[in-house]
Amino acid sequence: MVEVKRSEYRGSIHQRQKDLMLKWYERLNEAAETGVPPTASLMISGNCVELLEGFGAVPIYPEVNALQLAIRHQSLDPILAAEELGYAPDNCAYVKADIGCYLKGITPTGGKLPKPDLVLCNFVGCNTYVKWFEHTAELTGSKLYVLDVPFLREDEPSRADMDYVVRQLKEVVALLEQISGRKFDYDRFVEAVRCSAQVEELWSQIKHLARRTPSPFDAYFDAITLMGPLYVYRGTPEGVDFFRAALEEMQAKVDAGEGLYDQEKYRLVIEGPPPYPYFRTFRDMFAKWKATTVASTYSTVGGLWEFGARHDPDHPFESVALHMLAHNVTNRNYLQRYEQIRRYLEEWNADGLIIHFVKSCRLFSAGQGDMRDYVTKTLGIPTLYIESDLEDPRYFAEAQTRNRIDAFFESLEHSKLGAHAHA
Amino acid sequence: MRIAAGVDVGSTQTKAVVMTDNGGREILARALVDTGANVRKAADNAFQAVCQAAGVHAPEVGFVVGTGYGRYNISFGNAQMTEISCHARGAHFVCPATRTVIDMGGQDSKAISLGKDGQVLDFVMNDKCAAGTGRFLANAAEVMGISLDEVGPLSLRATRSVKIATVCTVFVESDILSYLAQGKKAEDILGGVHLAIAKRTLSLARRVPIEPAITLTGGVARNSGMVHALEEVLGTQLQISPDAQFMGAIGAAVFALEKMDQSFEFSTWRPEHASGSGH
Repeated sequence: MVEVKRSEYRGSIHQRQKDLMLKWYERLNEAAETGVPPTASLMISGNCVELLEGFGAVPIYPEVNALQLAIRHQSLDPILAAEELGYAPDNCAYVKADIGCYLKGITPTGGKLPKPDLVLCNFVGCNTYVKWFEHTAELTGSKLYVLDVPFLREDEPSRADMDYVVRQLKEVVALLEQISGRKFDYDRFVEAVRCSAQVEELWSQIKHLARRTPSPFDAYFDAITLMGPLYVYRGTPEGVDFFRAALEEMQAKVDAGEGLYDQEKYRLVIEGPPPYPYFRTFRDMFAKWKATTVASTYSTVGGLWEFGARHDPDHPFESVALHMLAHNVTNRNYLQRYEQIRRYLEEWNADGLIIHFVKSCRLFSAGQGDMRDYVTKTLGIPTLYIESDLEDPRYFAEAQTRNRIDAFFESLEHSKLGAHAHA
Repeated sequence: MRIAAGVDVGSTQTKAVVMTDNGGREILARALVDTGANVRKAADNAFQAVCQAAGVHAPEVGFVVGTGYGRYNISFGNAQMTEISCHARGAHFVCPATRTVIDMGGQDSKAISLGKDGQVLDFVMNDKCAAGTGRFLANAAEVMGISLDEVGPLSLRATRSVKIATVCTVFVESDILSYLAQGKKAEDILGGVHLAIAKRTLSLARRVPIEPAITLTGGVARNSGMVHALEEVLGTQLQISPDAQFMGAIGAAVFALEKMDQSFEFSTWRPEHASGSGH
């Protein structure tokens, strides 16, 4: 069989990330056993985690739980449990994995997950969220609040949209006060917004290091490692420390001229989430060709900070609202996503685009065929379109996927060498 | 005299070609065996058969490139390349004017856009579904009790082709049974089946620029009904080589010769790509 090259960056931040995420699960386990600290279920996209800090509350991210299960090859059982309940094969596999976990009492680490004090559906871009969290609330018996974030219809949100979201954020504060019995600590909230702004600055600097050749890290696979702390710890001093250390570590690699391989042969942009059940296999398919991802849209689901957006402690509620409305990839339209990808391809100096279509996420994936046309025909940049799923292992065909990826790199290589050989 | 070989281990059949470069590149022999369950054995058999047909001893073959899904199971191969690259190179060798390759194999169909030197510019493949592949045709033939060789010529006699609504290789059977129950003629049903596959292939091919000359490769190219249906939906003539089925193996052999010429040096030749040592 084919041998694969497992060449990658394993820095101290990868271990620190593990420690931080484990600590998060320990706090959730503590909440499950003692009822303290209070918890709220949140969605990743354009989340408002800073608000929870004002209550000393801890976020539960069902998406993170789902992907953690998938990466540990444990997602199929809960998916099947949800399908037995009546969920269709085409339903979002994240939803099914999460619902199945509740049904079967499965957690990624084996510890307990608390019944959330509030199921806070920060509906940003993905309308599946609404039904998902309705089901979660029904299963857990928790209070549900649907924080309706209007889709971004122009370049910037209108004043009315901003007011609408701010008003809802304040309703959430009142609701959380009532549910948790804790008074909202405004100063702590502002401090969280300040920490977020610092983390976002550090994260942005990290992402800009990938413009260097060679890039010191993979802005897809390694970025995913950093995304856990980005969502769980963004509004905390621990988050600031983590991202400062990450930046220093990567800057040192840049200073030493170190990339992922002895020679970085290809620079890619990747669109779409990864096939988590085959995360390692998928990464190796690129490592074999010494390809580094220099930018990815998936790493901007939580926020689009490399283009300048920041939370603002001087306008905490407004900046949280603006973040939810405008500064994350899922609440923006396809033309805006095209523009984001174009900038990555040009400013991060990439050789090609990989589009990973997620079978069970029609909302995020619909339109990627047109995106492929735009990038290949209008921008003239080689693009590979592959299909599987982010959570359901049944949709991943290893031989087919490998074949397409190998063929893509062969064509990149031939076009580089072809001119020379046939000159 | 330089001798090289290409072995294309497909899902249904394994094809092998021996080529020589003696001032000009020339195909010495071809061999075809059913792949069956033992992929490694199929590759061995095809290689032995093609060497025998070419009148060369295996050790005389300087370089072997494997392609197709079973390529990593070729114990004697020096290197592997995807069938996308190989079909493109094969089509370019046989018909240098080729700018688009439509390949219809047993479980894959693909459209490849080529540069003037035969390099792949873009490609698309069917995903997770056998609609529009040889398998769709084989299922239709089976349910109608007609041999695969006959379905093409029979479909050409269609006067009122039926509409096959489904693109699903499994559900097409119930569509056909329903038409048979209605008393529709076999040729009209097959006309509809061929047209359904052709339309499916067209929608795939439209995702890459379809530019002439268009060369049809893969086993399905032997089916005259499929060629007719594709030409009808494309509105243009296809290049059909008697070697259509061998195009992947030919491309692999061309790459092998180029390796021996050292006119091309890919990183795909790295040792980790080859599971066995060469001769």
